[in-house]
Amino acid sequence: MLQTQELQVNIGPQHPSTHGVFRMLVTVDGETVVDLKPVFGYLHRNHEQIAEANSYLQNMPYTDRLDYFNSMANNHAYAMAVERLAGIEVPERAEYIRVLMVELTRILNHASAVGFMINDMGAWQTPLAFGMREREKILDLFEMASGARLMCNYFRFGGVVRDLPPEFIPNLRELLRALPAYIDELERLLRDNEILLQRAIGIGILPPEVALSYGVSGPVLRGSGIPYDVRKAEPYSVYDRFDFDVPIGKVGDVYDRFLVRIEEMRQSKRIIEQVLEQLPDAKGGHINPKARQNVRPPVGDAYARIESPKGELGFYLVSDGSTKPYRYKVRAPSFINLTPLADMCRGYKVADIVVILGSIDIVMGEVDR
Amino acid sequence: MTASPFEIEIPRGRVIEVQRDDTRVRWGGGLLRGMAVVWKHWKESFKLNRSYSQIHGTFTIEYPEEQPRIPEAYRNMPILLYDDETGHELCTSCFQCERICPPQVIHMTQAKDPATGKPVPAVAEFIIEYDACMSCGFCAEVCPFDAIKMDHEFELSTDDHTRLTVHKEQLLRPISYYAKIAPTMWAEVRESALKKLQGNVRRRPDVIGLAPQLTEKIAARRAELAAQAVQAAQAAAAAPAAPAAAPAEGRKLTPEEKAAKLAAIRAAKTAQAGESATPAEAAPAPPSPAPAGEAAPSADKAAKLAAIRAANAAKKAAAGEAPATLPVAPADGMAGDTPADAPPAAPPADKAARLAAIRAANAAKKQQSGDGS
Amino acid sequence: MYDMLTALINGALGWGWPEWALNLLSYILIVTIVLVVAPLQMLFFTYYERRVIARMQDRVGPNRVGPEGIWQPIADGVKMFTKEDIVPQAADRIVHFLAPCVVVAPTVLMFAVVPWGPGMVPVDLPTGLLFFFAISSISAVGLMMAGWASNNKFSLLGAMRAVAQMVSYEIPAVLSLIAIVIIVGSLSINEIIAYQAGLIISNRDLPGVPDLGLGWFVFTPVGFVAFVAFFIAALAEGERTPFDIPEADSEIVAGYMTEYSGMKFGLFYLAQYVLNFLLCAITAIIFFGGWQGPGVGWLYAQGITPANPNGNGLFNVLAGILGVFYFLLKTYIFFFVMVWLRGAFPRLRIDQLMDFGWKFLIPWTLANLFSAALWVAFTRWGPAEGMLITVGWSPVLRWLAAFVVTLAINLGVYLWLTRVYAASQAERRRAELEELSAAA
Repeated sequence: MLQTQELQVNIGPQHPSTHGVFRMLVTVDGETVVDLKPVFGYLHRNHEQIAEANSYLQNMPYTDRLDYFNSMANNHAYAMAVERLAGIEVPERAEYIRVLMVELTRILNHASAVGFMINDMGAWQTPLAFGMREREKILDLFEMASGARLMCNYFRFGGVVRDLPPEFIPNLRELLRALPAYIDELERLLRDNEILLQRAIGIGILPPEVALSYGVSGPVLRGSGIPYDVRKAEPYSVYDRFDFDVPIGKVGDVYDRFLVRIEEMRQSKRIIEQVLEQLPDAKGGHINPKARQNVRPPVGDAYARIESPKGELGFYLVSDGSTKPYRYKVRAPSFINLTPLADMCRGYKVADIVVILGSIDIVMGEVDR
Repeated sequence: MTASPFEIEIPRGRVIEVQRDDTRVRWGGGLLRGMAVVWKHWKESFKLNRSYSQIHGTFTIEYPEEQPRIPEAYRNMPILLYDDETGHELCTSCFQCERICPPQVIHMTQAKDPATGKPVPAVAEFIIEYDACMSCGFCAEVCPFDAIKMDHEFELSTDDHTRLTVHKEQLLRPISYYAKIAPTMWAEVRESALKKLQGNVRRRPDVIGLAPQLTEKIAARRAELAAQAVQAAQAAAAAPAAPAAAPAEGRKLTPEEKAAKLAAIRAAKTAQAGESATPAEAAPAPPSPAPAGEAAPSADKAAKLAAIRAANAAKKAAAGEAPATLPVAPADGMAGDTPADAPPAAPPADKAARLAAIRAANAAKKQQSGDGS
Repeated sequence: MYDMLTALINGALGWGWPEWALNLLSYILIVTIVLVVAPLQMLFFTYYERRVIARMQDRVGPNRVGPEGIWQPIADGVKMFTKEDIVPQAADRIVHFLAPCVVVAPTVLMFAVVPWGPGMVPVDLPTGLLFFFAISSISAVGLMMAGWASNNKFSLLGAMRAVAQMVSYEIPAVLSLIAIVIIVGSLSINEIIAYQAGLIISNRDLPGVPDLGLGWFVFTPVGFVAFVAFFIAALAEGERTPFDIPEADSEIVAGYMTEYSGMKFGLFYLAQYVLNFLLCAITAIIFFGGWQGPGVGWLYAQGITPANPNGNGLFNVLAGILGVFYFLLKTYIFFFVMVWLRGAFPRLRIDQLMDFGWKFLIPWTLANLFSAALWVAFTRWGPAEGMLITVGWSPVLRWLAAFVVTLAINLGVYLWLTRVYAASQAERRRAELEELSAAA
């Protein structure tokens, strides 16, 4: 009788497909994963503690650095939390601009997330390159509006830092013309690709009950078949004024998450079109002129959550009446979506781990904070 | 799959289930379709395409040969602005940017009037640590004087880390530079910024607040100040010795200092006396009317000449002891309103002469303002 | 080469060298050319691949070193040479050192039987094809040595995968080639090329077809299936996407090459690209006529050949140039396809790769083998061999019958196999799921 031995393999922290510095301690039996222990914290930057030493406004650029793909979404959640805490009104136009920016963020995040996932499957950069191309265009728009591509730091309490520049809307309209073609092309490239199907179908299944018990959110949860979307469940900002659908998956595998992301890009495009229709009628400037940026909110606490591209992103703030938050807590979707990784990987092959990890779409900046 | 516990009401919109059809038998068509997409990209990639509405074509910007298009709002690193015409910095060292800066990389010291030691609305030294700056742009946003703006220059890489601690001389850019990179953004704030600057310039004595690298402007300004001093000195020489002891009383002065000051005060008195007769002579330093660039060489000479003359006058009065006052001058700086507050560095003789002239002018002004109130 | 040298030295110059001297000289020349050409091809391929794939991804690719970046591979080579050669402390130093040599040597040896043009084969072995594949299998030993000696889990995993993959994909590769060998009736690569003269139809299958050098095997159903199967197997042998599992960078870092650096890594790289070149070349030779093309046959017939010793040497050179041009063109087109696949597809998993090889490719190539036998029976056999149906048929009719029958068989088998394969995959997925849920 042959004696077989389980092998422990460290995937990461320096590994090409761990999306940053992330380590998975994998126990394998041959090529089959017996157990997996995610180890993170390599990118810990003491975000929350630093935030408690800063004034409210000073934290805004730090939120950019949480999930560096979606700085606009992070800004939105944080601005909402502070506005709730300090009771700041946001003019309508500012709300529309915010929604516009966050939906553009969703498109760029999903475009690159799909690309990264296929990259982990072994496609040599092509879907990623196509995704990055669309992302670049959106980043150009962000740069026009906010002055920076990634670390936008665009939102302020009571609005956004400056109004959209005049060349923004025409360029956005051109981009919207290209988007359906891009999404269709991405689908044509990948959707029926037999190799992708083999790699994606039935891989990394996350049953809805398990997903709920872990508190998973975002496309991963919807991929498991639960139509939960903060934009629908608790419409914030002006999301109750738009028509859009919530795509869900059937099985909860990698393929479902991939398809949900592609469909969400389409829905985001729909929202942006509606924003463009309604934007000219929107009242108020880009920022509430009465809102002081150097806020000193009354004693109390506030929690604000948004549907960030990666899931439910929440900021919990406690004020002690000073200019600095007494407690500052981030509910990071990447972190919570990462927790069921071991359950998703157990029983699959080593090569599937990276694909499953890619399908969760994490950003280590947000996981480790 | 969607059992009843997961039924969620969706307002405005449907829940759509993705199309999977994973039971279909596939014969490789998906692979061929994928290859067709890639082929199209390959074929189209030979033409350059920067349009937002296209998904094919190369969109690479070949960077060193071709500069990226930078939108007006682009923010890279903070810079300080100064006025092209007068050379005055817009910064008044209000410390707003230093306070807001999240990574706390801005450091500044406020300029002090050398004559009185009182803070002046100008900045003495301004340091930004570019290496730790996160380009958030808060400093530019909070600046009430529009003195700090975000640059478009992004080629900052260097092999010398210390060069990323940037001092005022390297931070300063003319307003025209900023107006060029961000025309509309500057146009919005231009008027208020320049108005505020004019208000501040009036409160800046000597050459404080002038961009240090603009030596010509500084020289011109010095010449102007010296010219005033010369006039004062000449007047002092011409007029009979006035009873000058009174203003000097109650001040702690070294004997050498006293002699120098005496001459200065005398000069000031006469200047004041002359002011009613000829206001133009003793007008309080307006910005130089002539374009300084061209006038500079002659102005420089004139300044030196005037300075020497003034020094001579001072020497005459102080029995050649004026240079000797210099080493002890820093100690006098403690005396609050002592007019003779020399810079710590001991200057050569030529500089000393200038200094004397400046001191005389300062004293003249001091006297004037003292009398006015 | 020997013919040309004889013609030049003893014919044109009239020096009257002995035969052994001419032989020696010609072999030295040949070996020199092969040893120079092999790395040059590798250098060109790396540049070519990077440029092409960049274009596929809407990028520009390396364009900084020299005009359009043509010296980029040279710069890479210089970088490789100047890098520190690191051997892990726990590695088996001797094996670690030997492994790249064992990998590179066979790839260079394989050049021995590759014909570049008419009469331009270094060694015209009667068993050239066998030699080619026998030698190519040796590099698997080198890969295993590399993986084992590195003493690294990723390396070992990569080497295991590489060996498993190479061994299993040699079977469909060889099976698809055997189909061609059955039709040609010879293992000599020159014979296989010579068979492909003609226009769409080989003039050996159907005498009387004009010789334009276009009677390629790929135009027959047997040849087409063999080509597709062989090319897929070649991708696996050459570790190209979608079968680049041994060095799957997103999973096991770089597979067996993980612990190699400097010039040893460069040697692996060289071996890989030279192997890719050879696989593309052999595909071009077996299925696309190698140097065959319009004009080559006619030109060569005018030159000095064993059959025509009084020909003009100039025509030899012209035929050689044209032949090499056709050959390289075809080879580069195949490499383009390899790059194209790399640009388009993700990678299979190792078990799926095995599934595909054993459950799809091997049955398909086996069926193709049967088709090849039928092809021979229809086109060549007479009553003497027991083939009584075709008695009295004209050659055209016999060819047509062969075409239709083999097409029907190959197509039918393909469609049936896709069904069976899909069903087996679904069944497997179901079983895996059951296992998972049972474990949970």
